[in-house]
Amino acid sequence: MRQEVVLAMLAKEPSHGYELRARLRHALGPLGEAMNAGQVYVTLTRLEKAGLVSSERSPAAADRPDRKVYALTAEGEERVGEWLVEVSWPKPDLAEFHLKLVAAASARLADPLGIVDAQRRELLRRLRDAQRAAMAEPDGSEAALLLEGIVLRLQADLRWLEACERSWTDRRNSTHRRSGS
Amino acid sequence: MGRALLIGRLALRDLRRRPVEAVLLLLAITAATTTLTLGLVLQDAARDPYQSTREATAGPDVVATVLPSPEGEPAELTALESLTGVAGVVDHSGPYPAIGAVMEVGGETADVQAIGRDTASASIDQPEVTEGSWVRDGGVVVEATFADALGIGEGDPVTLNGRSFPVVGVAVTAAVAPDSCLVPCYIGPPLDELPPEEAEEAEGIVLCSAAADPPLDCVVQSPGLVWMTRGDVRSVAPQEEALTYLLNLRLDDPASAPAFAAANDACQPDQPCQSSGPGLYPWQETLENVTENTRAAREGLVTGGSLLAVLAVASVAVLVGGRMADQRRRVGLLKAIGGTPALVAVVLLAEYMILALVAATVGSWVGRALAPLLVDPAASLLGSAEVPPLTASTVGVVAAMALGVVILATSVPAARAARTSTVLALADAARVPRRTAWLIAVSARLPVPLLVGLRVLARRPRRVVLGVASVAVTVSGLVAALSAHASLEGESFVGMVSRLEDVRTEYLNQVLLVLVVMLLTLAAVNAVFITWTTSLDTRHAAALTHALGATPGQIGLGLSLAQVLPALLGALLGIPGGLALVAALGGTASEVPAWQLLAVVPGTGVAVALLSTITARFGARRPTAEILQAELA
Amino acid sequence: MSDTAEGWVLRARGLRKQYGSGQALVRAVDGVDVDVAAGETVAVMGPSGCGKSTLLHLLGGLDRPSEGEVQLDGRRIDRMSERALARLRRTVVGFVFQAFHLMDELTALENVELPALLAGSSPRAARRRATELLDRVGLPDRAGFLPAALSGGQRQRVAVARALSNEPRVLLADEPTGNLDSAATLEVLRLFDSLHDAGQTLVIVTHDERIAATADRLISMRDGAFVDETRLTGGTTGQLAALVGLEG
Repeated sequence: MRQEVVLAMLAKEPSHGYELRARLRHALGPLGEAMNAGQVYVTLTRLEKAGLVSSERSPAAADRPDRKVYALTAEGEERVGEWLVEVSWPKPDLAEFHLKLVAAASARLADPLGIVDAQRRELLRRLRDAQRAAMAEPDGSEAALLLEGIVLRLQADLRWLEACERSWTDRRNSTHRRSGS
Repeated sequence: MGRALLIGRLALRDLRRRPVEAVLLLLAITAATTTLTLGLVLQDAARDPYQSTREATAGPDVVATVLPSPEGEPAELTALESLTGVAGVVDHSGPYPAIGAVMEVGGETADVQAIGRDTASASIDQPEVTEGSWVRDGGVVVEATFADALGIGEGDPVTLNGRSFPVVGVAVTAAVAPDSCLVPCYIGPPLDELPPEEAEEAEGIVLCSAAADPPLDCVVQSPGLVWMTRGDVRSVAPQEEALTYLLNLRLDDPASAPAFAAANDACQPDQPCQSSGPGLYPWQETLENVTENTRAAREGLVTGGSLLAVLAVASVAVLVGGRMADQRRRVGLLKAIGGTPALVAVVLLAEYMILALVAATVGSWVGRALAPLLVDPAASLLGSAEVPPLTASTVGVVAAMALGVVILATSVPAARAARTSTVLALADAARVPRRTAWLIAVSARLPVPLLVGLRVLARRPRRVVLGVASVAVTVSGLVAALSAHASLEGESFVGMVSRLEDVRTEYLNQVLLVLVVMLLTLAAVNAVFITWTTSLDTRHAAALTHALGATPGQIGLGLSLAQVLPALLGALLGIPGGLALVAALGGTASEVPAWQLLAVVPGTGVAVALLSTITARFGARRPTAEILQAELA
Repeated sequence: MSDTAEGWVLRARGLRKQYGSGQALVRAVDGVDVDVAAGETVAVMGPSGCGKSTLLHLLGGLDRPSEGEVQLDGRRIDRMSERALARLRRTVVGFVFQAFHLMDELTALENVELPALLAGSSPRAARRRATELLDRVGLPDRAGFLPAALSGGQRQRVAVARALSNEPRVLLADEPTGNLDSAATLEVLRLFDSLHDAGQTLVIVTHDERIAATADRLISMRDGAFVDETRLTGGTTGQLAALVGLEG
């Protein structure tokens, strides 16, 4: 998770580490459970080192990380502002899979179609899971929206996998024809 | 000019796209225009021959007669001759003697009235000889219609009151109608067939043909007309006192003949009749008499033509209503490229106007061509076989009717289509069926075929109304025709009148047949149209109902019911409608056998069921799955 | 020997459907065997024109196979008369179409009660059942609405209610979300899910992966024949987080 996310969560008001974590988990819904408990604190420490965040001990507190109150510095605020207007989009990782198929075919390591089918099955299972999770969410929940995004992207990826299957099938058929078998 | 060409081109192309529909529409309107043309043309068909006969024979304006008194006193000749001095009379011929006699020819007996004439030509009423020659001593000239009815001609021997006279000629006159009676005579049903009340009144009547030695005051029954010399007439008459005398008069103003006759007739309408004075018959009466059949036929044809026009409106309306739905896209295009609503309406109407004009042309031509077949054969006057050519006014009336039919039928759908919003029209949204909530609720309680049938009806109420109306109009016409037919067959006559009646009956029955055939054809076309458009319209709904579990039999029966039920309603409405029509035309429907009237309703039901089943079979039979999937395309 | 004893609702063997002849011969369905157990949701996926809709029509008795046999609820339907098939469509099978195919002039309630009326129910019973079903699909307040006044998802839900009217043993759906947007698809998905939980047997033909993912069994079809079959088992949301960059 990018550091800017944690920064932005602090923009509303200074908070404790555990408050931040709670807000993140709420926004992520069931996916939030995958989040590492310590992740947030590690990120906060890094941000403090970079001077984007400052911390204060809250009064009646022992020297433990979750008693600190974190707040944005001026640079931190600036960074948040820049981040909000960035328009880069999370990158899909298609190149890796595509190269996997090419390598498997050329080195005869495995049948590309088998790889595609296996991946398809996996994605379908994930689609099913995401869908179930989405439907289990109450109406209007923020997490539902996130899950919908997952579903739609899985759908798009599945379409591409179908295209891969068609293409690699055609390639195999024409190879067979050429080799006369 | 360019716009007119464009409109014309669009119209023609659209007609060419669906030739069968165009032809059927043409047929429907042409049936109406042909019938109307026939009616209009026949109007003049008998009048002109009569006029030309009148001119050729110098027909009289008034014919005056005095009868012999029943007590044996001679007729008042002086009273007759005094008429020649009355104001308005410019010329006269006669007086001529006339007698009723019994004629025998070829074993048959027929009553005749024989008028005594000079061998020389008279200035007024000189009958035109069509066969042989005019009267001479010892010979008889027979009136043309009479000769035709008896089948005799020049040279045939006949006897009058026992004396033999050969027929020397056949002639035509305009002075009196062929079935008129100038001498003492009885015109009515056979004496022995009279009902008791009337038989009492007729007790004193003795027919000359009944007894071998008839009394002086015997009467002839429905006599035919013959001419002889004056001497021959006197020789045939039993006594001088039995003679009738007649006088032909010419007036300075022929149009005033009816007034003259009314003023001078011995029998005034509100007073008891002095039978010894002269009776006067104006020429207009004769004209009416002679043209009566043609008038009756014309009346029938014009009425029939109007009914057919109404049916044609229904036909066109049904078909156009269905087609307009397809035109909506066209409408959208025209509006999108800048056509005004007026232009759009014109484009929509143009093809139907074209059809109307073609139908008017074809109908006028066919009507004129068929008219000679329907000219009254009994009107054997000079030149009677000729039907006058079409006048501009006749064609104009027919064209106006055809255009009227089309405008009536298409104006509402065209206006609706033209007013559609452009966007909707381009999207070509199908016409949503109407929702008739009460019918839907009622049909839920009924067995499945009725449920299907009623719901089909509920979708297009306007089409149901048109269907009911067209059947009602058809049945009204049928009832009127049945009534006319019954009244024709109902009476029996004797003698010349009977012969003329037979010919008249045959003639008018022919006319009725033509009308009934036209009516039934158009009604059949209507039924086919309605079934066709309905089945196109309900294709999807029927497929869906099939997919939901109705058997094909239930659906088929439901669709049939959707045609038959409105038809039955229309038939039920048509019977009182027909009776009203008969009353409006001045007839009575009491002679129509009740079973015939009652049979019309189930008969209509069966006919419609048959027609709709056949039409539905012809419609495309695509499997349910295909129809339902086609919606996706 | 009744197949229902073994829990099979639908069985097909050697199913073939072809059109035309000679050069123009088209094999829409080319040798398909399928078994559907009671309570199962089976999805058939494939590209357009692969014959899946035709297959569904054959399974539901809307069309006759050129070869092969179909058993529905223990009875062979490929040789049945039209009347018997119609009765079948009233009692054993419910259909849902891509284009909804609702009658435009009937309200939602009247549309739903139609199969019951066709089956001979009394109007009151049909009405009662229709009201229950509309409730079941989550549209109790739309009973008096005409289809034109309903959204796509609502219309399809009415269509599903109609298909359930006579308590069919199997519900056959042909591209049920083909005409729906994403939100409406979700509505229908939820409905199918709840039907599945209630034990309804479903056979869904689709090329929408979202629908396919709800099935217990997913069959892939190409050129009229089955090419793959997968059982989709559930997992956790654990692996999903990676998809959204929540790791590391």
